[in-house]
Amino acid sequence: MEKSRTAGAPTAPQIGEDPSHQSESSRRAFLQAAALLAAGTMMPLARAHEDASSNTRSGQKVILVVIGGVRRAESFSQEGIQNIPHLFGDLLPHALFYPYARNEGVTAHFNAISSILTGNWQRVDDWGKLAPTTPTLFEQFRKQHRVGPSDTWVVASNKALTSLIGASSASGYGPPYGANVVFPKQLMLTAVVDALRRGRTANMADRNKVEAELESAMEGSNYEGLGWNVFDAAASLDPRVQASLKAAIANFVRGGGPTSGDELTFFMTREIMRKFAPSVLTVAFSDVEVAHFGTYSMHIAGIRTADRLAYQIWQEVQSNPAYRNKTTMVILPEFGRDPDGSSTNGFFNHRANEESTRDAWMMALGSAVEQPQIIERPVLHIDLCPTLAGLLGCSPLETQGTVLKELRV
Amino acid sequence: MQSAASLPSTLQDALSHGLLKRIPLTFLPFVNQQLHQWDYLFPNERRSVERLLLYVASLTPGQSSELFHDVVRIEDKMGVRSWQFSTSEQTISNSAELARSPYFQEWRRAVQAVFDRADQYALQMQSHLVRSPNRLVLLIIPRALPVDQTTVWRRWQGIGKPLTLDLRNDAQQPDPLAFLLDGTPAQPASGLLHAALVNPTASAADTWFIDATPGLADHLAAQSSPSAPSQTVLLSYQRLDRYRQAFSHEMNTMRKDLSDADAVYDRLRKVDVTPWCPPEVAADPAVREFVRSLYLSGNGAVIFGNSFVEWAASEAFRRARPRFLAARFGMRSKPKPFTGVAVFDNPDQINPLPAVDDPPGSSVDAQMLALYIWLAAQRFDEYRKSTVCICIAESIAEAYVIAPPEFALAGQSGPVALAPLRDALQSWIA
Repeated sequence: MEKSRTAGAPTAPQIGEDPSHQSESSRRAFLQAAALLAAGTMMPLARAHEDASSNTRSGQKVILVVIGGVRRAESFSQEGIQNIPHLFGDLLPHALFYPYARNEGVTAHFNAISSILTGNWQRVDDWGKLAPTTPTLFEQFRKQHRVGPSDTWVVASNKALTSLIGASSASGYGPPYGANVVFPKQLMLTAVVDALRRGRTANMADRNKVEAELESAMEGSNYEGLGWNVFDAAASLDPRVQASLKAAIANFVRGGGPTSGDELTFFMTREIMRKFAPSVLTVAFSDVEVAHFGTYSMHIAGIRTADRLAYQIWQEVQSNPAYRNKTTMVILPEFGRDPDGSSTNGFFNHRANEESTRDAWMMALGSAVEQPQIIERPVLHIDLCPTLAGLLGCSPLETQGTVLKELRV
Repeated sequence: MQSAASLPSTLQDALSHGLLKRIPLTFLPFVNQQLHQWDYLFPNERRSVERLLLYVASLTPGQSSELFHDVVRIEDKMGVRSWQFSTSEQTISNSAELARSPYFQEWRRAVQAVFDRADQYALQMQSHLVRSPNRLVLLIIPRALPVDQTTVWRRWQGIGKPLTLDLRNDAQQPDPLAFLLDGTPAQPASGLLHAALVNPTASAADTWFIDATPGLADHLAAQSSPSAPSQTVLLSYQRLDRYRQAFSHEMNTMRKDLSDADAVYDRLRKVDVTPWCPPEVAADPAVREFVRSLYLSGNGAVIFGNSFVEWAASEAFRRARPRFLAARFGMRSKPKPFTGVAVFDNPDQINPLPAVDDPPGSSVDAQMLALYIWLAAQRFDEYRKSTVCICIAESIAEAYVIAPPEFALAGQSGPVALAPLRDALQSWIA
């Protein structure tokens, strides 16, 4: 109640970087600069070709990469582009870019991602205790094309998600048509907790032993403790999945690189792409959410990590024959974050009903992009599901979102 | 947490005449919780609750219905009566239900309108109110945190002015904050601490010192006069280490047994924290509970010293409206491999690799959070006109000063030695 009260009190001077307070002219100047960059480095892209073997399906694949809550000020703004060198420098010149892609729903992770995946603003439990109420992209795709369970996946770092993100509670749809859902970061946390409980914490300082700890956590008596849902199995992982994930863990640990949750999510994503080549893949990064703990420097580091890993996924798309020239990849934040000076502690959180929190952007790459361009028309997150469903050759369902006509194959 | 026994008689009278029956459903968790925790509220919070309830009590039943008309109408639209909605205390599920409703923003505006009318009523009834006292917010980015002179104040966007400092001092006191607080041995009254404590209008929780390190608390413990503890709130992230460790341990232990977050929080609200507190926190029930609520409300206060400093300062402004608040940031360690910050236990316990300081990262955090402390103060009327804010970046011997024109150093660009700075600040809050 007190917070509500203070929230409504006259607000502090908005001296932060909330771009909604930037002048329209500076905003346009930035966009023009971005457009010039795009024009100057534009290269002809290979057009998608129809997969003749796909029959009723379009043969297209879609990859959706969501990167948590990121404000425009720290990303696509004059000051923010230093944090996204790959998105801005490497990918934007080839992208269909929507600078204004808004979240008009609940700005919490489960609801935001399930809104993107269903095309309808979801208002279910914030912590994933309830499934989305309308069919997800996975269910639409699997039901309409009678596709098996290995063709749709969610790989997520975010602890606010549960396996219910993979399928809705909608009549006639639901888990039989849902996606496999894995949470690699949870594997890491479980390994840490196990090591602590069993007095093996020294292992967490030794890369060779960390691998064994992670594998041990994955092979634990009931992997559902990790919150995963793979091939509807109850007690143990499918051997093919287990082999893939072990390979991912080995790459993650032995690579000698950074060891955040998003890094492990990336390695598992890449292994799933190589082993199963799913047609519909959602990747949810969340290193940026360290912002909830109040460390701005680590939040920025999380943005840079997401920028790099999204680029690496795109590189995998380009080099993997199962994806090359038949994949549309979309990258977007789930929402922004609260503005500096808000009663909700600014960048820490994402629950204020403010422009800074709802304002986001969206970048599309690949076969559905006829030519790189910047679409200044505001769009909504819920427009993505019907658009991607169309790319996958699904008949449209009635949704709140509308198809983005610039994306087509 | 025991029931409060010290409610003012006017409030007790109003409550005994069925005041709470006039209060809308969504107000009750807040009102009941505040009444229940009366002994743990700061004076400013008590005044706020009193203002609201005595205002409602002064109204006829028809007038109070009119006052709450919009709130009740929105509650009906929300369907609050069909929710599992606690009326005894604010819970996570209450908040989640409210926030999920499409009418949430409308409800917030209606609630705000009620508080505004209560405040207007209080102003009318207290026309004799004295002028709001001068206030001081003193922020320290210590020498160990390197800053870039060309960009350090950029986020403040010109609301104040940089002031070059001469940090050499002649009192053999290497710590600028201690120098400002202490005064000289010959004239202890020249220090900010003395000025804050002897002010005739000073009341409990009027002076706050919040430190990421133990240094300030140790220093003040050696300096404190017998009267100090009742008026000064002293919070050190590091001195609260035992509280924090025990609290997070409880949190982790219970997570394995309880699936319901509200049950976890209920348990943590009742844990006796006194054995975990350093003396300066254990001595004051309101401060003890303040720290508990800081840890329960998240925002990194359990994990990072600088987050603790920022969140404690922000909550101090919101709840206690101190006249003088000093906050000092500190160093955090780099995250350890494979553990990150996603676990709440002590990272040293989880990973035996030695902790490594992160000066640049700590500095970036401190620069942002220093601004956030000032912005947090600015949300409240008390700090908008007669407040000096000075943020000192020790590594570049420079301060950023936001001050009304009446402040002695308002027009100065420096260099200013610490002694005249101390004198100017001391005279501002004296």
